[in-house]
Amino acid sequence: MDAVLSYIPLDITLIAENFDRFLYGVWTTLVLTFLALLVGGLFAIPMAIARASKHWLLNPIIWSFTYVFRGSPLLVQTYLIYFGLGQFEAVRESWLWDPILSSAWWCAFIAFSLNTAAYTTELLRGSIVDTPSGEVEAAIALGHSYYKRLRRVVLPSAFRRMIPAYSNEVIFMLHGSVIASTITLQDILGVGRWLNGRYYLAYEGFITAALLYFLIVLCITQLFRLLERRYLPHLRERDTTTDSAPLPGSIR
Amino acid sequence: MIDAPALQVNDLYKSFGDNAVIKGVSMDASRGDVISILGASGSGKSTFLRCLNLLETPDSGDVFLAGEKMAMKRNRRGHQVPVDIRQVEKMRSRMAMVFQGFNLWSHMTVLDNVLEGPIYVQNVAKAEAKEKAYAMLERVGLSDRAKYYPAHLSGGQQQRVAIARALVMEPDVMLFDEPTSALDPELVGEVLEVMSNLAKEGRTMLVVTHEIAFARDVSTKTVFLHQGEICEEGPPDEILKSPKTEQLTTFLSRLS
Repeated sequence: MDAVLSYIPLDITLIAENFDRFLYGVWTTLVLTFLALLVGGLFAIPMAIARASKHWLLNPIIWSFTYVFRGSPLLVQTYLIYFGLGQFEAVRESWLWDPILSSAWWCAFIAFSLNTAAYTTELLRGSIVDTPSGEVEAAIALGHSYYKRLRRVVLPSAFRRMIPAYSNEVIFMLHGSVIASTITLQDILGVGRWLNGRYYLAYEGFITAALLYFLIVLCITQLFRLLERRYLPHLRERDTTTDSAPLPGSIR
Repeated sequence: MIDAPALQVNDLYKSFGDNAVIKGVSMDASRGDVISILGASGSGKSTFLRCLNLLETPDSGDVFLAGEKMAMKRNRRGHQVPVDIRQVEKMRSRMAMVFQGFNLWSHMTVLDNVLEGPIYVQNVAKAEAKEKAYAMLERVGLSDRAKYYPAHLSGGQQQRVAIARALVMEPDVMLFDEPTSALDPELVGEVLEVMSNLAKEGRTMLVVTHEIAFARDVSTKTVFLHQGEICEEGPPDEILKSPKTEQLTTFLSRLS
């Protein structure tokens, strides 16, 4: 075993000894990323609807929001919230300071959520606007009300069509979450940085971190492959070899 | 109002900006009437049909469905708007429309397309709706395609599904907006056959079409629109064989 390890120019034992830290880093990264995606995604739905429907009041407000959060780097947004808000006495004395705005985790979480909400809003807005107008007309002609139309035709269709593009947003968010490590959080990269700082060994920490991100991205892409198979069967070529067999995928 | 016509349209006007598309069209359809609406492109025939279920809002004019008036009022800018959108939605569900481009919901299976109206508009119980949906698909000869997605069907099959989707609503009037114009020539027949069968059953239908043969053989009345006005109307035998106006003569000669 030692003979094998001696060929590898990395200090494997050091990584192994600290692997529980890395696993905790994985946990931190995953929780932060996916909670932000969940919350940001939920906020994005009504905002995208308001944008797509060109609501006279909400549309310009939401447009400004998405413009600001897509127009500046996530790192800057995180710093503004984490370092910036604490400058104000009023913020430090408000009920929001403890336990929320004084905590690095919460600041990262808020910045990430707002950022992904902005991107997802625009993604979903585009998808809603691209709904084939004939399909919307068919829903109108059927007697659907505006909200039923949204719920039964426009949104199900828009969500499905945005699945492939949304996988990018998920991966970008995962990679963007390394910003958490710059405000003291021990996410995957945070542990790598800690290892580097403590032992002056760059590769051990950073290669491990890279491999862990790689693994998570692999899981994400597989998950989206499953989602596409499940929800986009109508975009697939029909399997002509088994003509008589019904296609899977009917919800009912 | 038991004897009210299935559909009555009084003096309908519609313009897009400065472009007057419908200039005072009136029409009566008794129960069982099959009215074919002919006209060159730009004559306003599709717009007329779309004004009936308010896919386009007419500038003025009244639409009655089985004696019930679609209540409209003027808003502050003088545009005509529905008094009660719920009433409009109800009336829309009673005049099912079949589109040129089929317009099936692409993310739903054939069965789900047909089930949408009964379950989510008419609130029919799921089991009953399913039974009805299969019966309608059987009628258009596609019950074996129930689990397919529209993209995996031919144009003719998609249009037949669209007809089943309209039929399952048990509408008072069926509106067909150039139902065969987007089809390959060899697929037109199967759709026209389904429509002929519906006509024989005594369904009330308004059909905007370029199929002169269908107008002649199936419809009970033919209306020829020219530049937003009814130029000629009557039994198809009469007006198609011996057109009185120059416009219809020209139109027919161009088609043959």
